[in-house]
Amino acid sequence: MRDATLKYLLVLPAVLVVLATAIWPLIESLRLSFTVGRLNRPGSLDQYLGFENFAWAFLYEPAFWNSVTVTAIYTVLTVALTTILALGLALLLAPGGRFRSGVQALLILPFAMSPALIGVSFRFMFNPEFGLFDAFFGVMIPPLADVSWLADPVLAFAVCVMADVWGWIPFLTLVLIGGLASIPQDTIEAAQVDGASGWRVFRDVTLPQLAPVLGVVVILKSIFSLKTFDQIFMLTNGGPGTATQTLSHYIYFNGMKYGQIGYAASVAWLMVIPMIFLTYAYARFVFRRP
Amino acid sequence: MTGRRKRQLANGVQVLLILIAIFVMLVPIIWIFMAAFKNHIDVFQLKLFFKPTLKNFPAVFESPYSLGHKLMNSTLVALVTVLLAIPIATMAAYSFSRFRLTGETTMLVTILATQFVPAVVIILPFFVMFRDLGLLDTRVGLILVNLSIVMPFAIWMIKGFIDGIPLDTEEAAMVDGSSRLQVIRNIVLPMAAPGLLTAGIFCFIIAWNEFLFALILTNKNAVTLPIGLALFKAEEGDLWNLLSAAGIIIMVPMFVLALIIRRYFVQGMTMGAVR
Amino acid sequence: MAEVVLRNLTKRWGDFVGVDNQSLEIRDREFLVLLGPSGCGKTTTMRMIAGLEEPTGGEIWIGDRQVNDDLPKDRDVAMVFQNYGLYPHMTVYDNIAYPLKVRGTPRSEIRHRVEAAATKVELAQFLDRKPRALSGGQRQRVALARAIVRTPKVFLMDEPLSNLDAKLRVTMRAELKHLSRELMITTIYVTHDQIEAMTLADRVAVMKSGIIQQLGTPDEIYNNPANLFVAGFIGSPPMNLITGSIRDGMFVTSGGIRLVPVDSADRQEVVLGVRPDDVRVSEEGQGDIDVRIYAFENTGEATLLTVQWGHQRVIARGDRHLRKDQDDCVSISLMADHLHLFDPQSGVRIAS
Ligand SMILES: Nc1ncnc2c1ncn2[C@@H]1O[C@H](COP(=O)(O)OP(=O)(O)OP(=O)(O)O)[C@@H](O)[C@H]1O
Ligand SMILES: [Mg+2]
Repeated sequence: MRDATLKYLLVLPAVLVVLATAIWPLIESLRLSFTVGRLNRPGSLDQYLGFENFAWAFLYEPAFWNSVTVTAIYTVLTVALTTILALGLALLLAPGGRFRSGVQALLILPFAMSPALIGVSFRFMFNPEFGLFDAFFGVMIPPLADVSWLADPVLAFAVCVMADVWGWIPFLTLVLIGGLASIPQDTIEAAQVDGASGWRVFRDVTLPQLAPVLGVVVILKSIFSLKTFDQIFMLTNGGPGTATQTLSHYIYFNGMKYGQIGYAASVAWLMVIPMIFLTYAYARFVFRRP
Repeated sequence: MTGRRKRQLANGVQVLLILIAIFVMLVPIIWIFMAAFKNHIDVFQLKLFFKPTLKNFPAVFESPYSLGHKLMNSTLVALVTVLLAIPIATMAAYSFSRFRLTGETTMLVTILATQFVPAVVIILPFFVMFRDLGLLDTRVGLILVNLSIVMPFAIWMIKGFIDGIPLDTEEAAMVDGSSRLQVIRNIVLPMAAPGLLTAGIFCFIIAWNEFLFALILTNKNAVTLPIGLALFKAEEGDLWNLLSAAGIIIMVPMFVLALIIRRYFVQGMTMGAVR
Repeated sequence: MAEVVLRNLTKRWGDFVGVDNQSLEIRDREFLVLLGPSGCGKTTTMRMIAGLEEPTGGEIWIGDRQVNDDLPKDRDVAMVFQNYGLYPHMTVYDNIAYPLKVRGTPRSEIRHRVEAAATKVELAQFLDRKPRALSGGQRQRVALARAIVRTPKVFLMDEPLSNLDAKLRVTMRAELKHLSRELMITTIYVTHDQIEAMTLADRVAVMKSGIIQQLGTPDEIYNNPANLFVAGFIGSPPMNLITGSIRDGMFVTSGGIRLVPVDSADRQEVVLGVRPDDVRVSEEGQGDIDVRIYAFENTGEATLLTVQWGHQRVIARGDRHLRKDQDDCVSISLMADHLHLFDPQSGVRIAS
């Protein structure tokens, strides 16, 4: 068979699978977002009402705005905290050696853990009676001794952020260690000989050269933070009240629990928009390399 | 203070910080491990020392939890997903890696982008469709949607591995008289085998840990392990000892798999965006 | 301005000894070259002086200060790295300015000095470029400019020319020599290229397996190699080494040929060294020994004759107009006052 034909035949199945499992639902979601779309009302999936679902979300749904706020704060906090802590840990572990490499290997474990299980385990750790972290914080910060973490809106949010940061630090750390390893060692040594202190070497030489990797890391983490669902569902299920209800959770609730699939689809599409920007930025990083 | 002392002190501080980090990273995991061996009284107390019991593990397999069925579902769904995804992805990855195709960049970017589409967006139409087709609560349905998250990973990862195979070997084989398909079968596949295995394990872990699709699409017959976690509730609250035993059954196999492909793990996750 | 003193400097990695108990005094304003084959510990020595590698034992003095415990930034040295170590994200100007910037030099002075340094290495028109957009030779000069922009106590250069092509290397070698005479700063220069060593150095330290074999001026090293290693390492083509014995003031090859009179007591075993330049080629029958040509090479500026008798091969440098062919016969004679004798066991030179 000629290569000219073969090369398209080879990609065909994959393209079909992606079209069927990702592109079609994306478009179908968009269509649904313009319909009445009640699960329990036959025919309503083809009953169009223009932009009404979107208008409803914007104008009459404080819960929608609540979940936007929650997601925004959640994303900013988790991205910032995870990146900073992972950068610190990567700098600590990057020099290598047996001890540090061993620790790097350990980092894979939390990352292989299912997010749902992370949610469960943090619910366990913050149990007011027998949670280990609960007890730990109680001893370290006395005003927190008698609180019930998951019943307090702010603290519950904090626990969600902690669980997320805990789950993602290992992966980001490993990526950043890879990034650090690809910085030519002699530029760092040159700076040392040129008279720069440790901090200045980091600021003037290491950090600028790490910037592309750091950019990738921030974009990836932002994407994953925006989508967060599993942990939240298992940890607080959006509560107390709607204090930890992220957009994904809000969509899930409206679509599945209330059966308003048209409305859920419209909110879901609102969520796709920031994703498009982030994906575009990410793709630029991927394709910029020679 | 002399430079040497200063350096030693700095190193000491670093080691201390690393130890703290390990501690924070491992404690929740260790805590689950311990809880899984506690009896139902010890688990409701903050105890470091206790009399270990193995009773929790058989208990989670009995009714009403019957974790065995969910274990079976998880294994089958993840396995079939991988067995479907890897060959399809490998064919595409080879083509993307070795040929120039019209619209290649568009296809690659689109494939990359689909990985970032929120799962809630994808699942809504699938739910409606599966309801109409009677595919709700079936493993087939779950496998189909899992392909949506696994395919982009697999294609990009395997493409990365094939990019790394030197072209000379292939060209040598072609000069020696192999056809393109023979080259793929006799040269590329064996050389890419470790990469395919890595991608396979990687996708297996993703499919195994997948939560939202299973939550929405299954309720009884096709329930997977992560969803099964929600079962361990009684009148008095969560049954932490059983929950932990189930947690171990979910995470330990993934730990083992992750450690096998440790070297490629990060590379796979970022799909070559970072060297 | 400073002298550099190494006392019993040692570097070990586990059991592996990189630098072995090395003592060396580098004089103020001297240009010292560390020369040796790959892996002999040259870079390691230099990195310990710069403070990039911690010695396992011994002392390092720069000027009148022991610097063992000083960080690189406090040692007041400047270094040119083998791969240059340029900062890829900074322009040429910022690269050269960096050592001044971190020392808080006023901005106007930085500008002034960067421009002066850049002019010296003929980079003035490239100041706004990034290193990526420079050729190998230009990058090398940025590295050089970054080192000379300050007046450090010591320059350290680790094979700064090794990444250049052969032609550029010759040009840059001359520029380096010129610059070093002009600046008069103590310089330690690492290379495995003997021509670089011979042309640049005030003194050369020849190293092997972490140990200095000989320390001396290029003349001393070339004319009086201290042992077989130095004798074989310096010179291209290398010195001919012929084993044999000395009987009645004559060197006798192991094949029993009485080759040349030598000024030494009788010995059972000895290695005779003679440089190709010191082997005179003449027509058959006119020299000390008649030999067959094994290979004849014309390099343009000279001819090289590999000649053979028995199992012994010797390289001779002939006149550039000489024309011979393989298997022709010629006669050679060794110039008696340019011979070197070594003990075959210890390799040490036998005083004559
Ligand atoms: N970090 C290290 N760990 C173990 N061995 C090392 C290390 N660094 C260098 N060595 C070893 O020390 C020896 C000396 O190395 P060094 O870099 O000083 O050689 P060199 O003389 O500069 O050689 P070259 O001309 O190839 O640059 C080498 O055999 C090398 O393998
Ligand atoms: Mg070296």
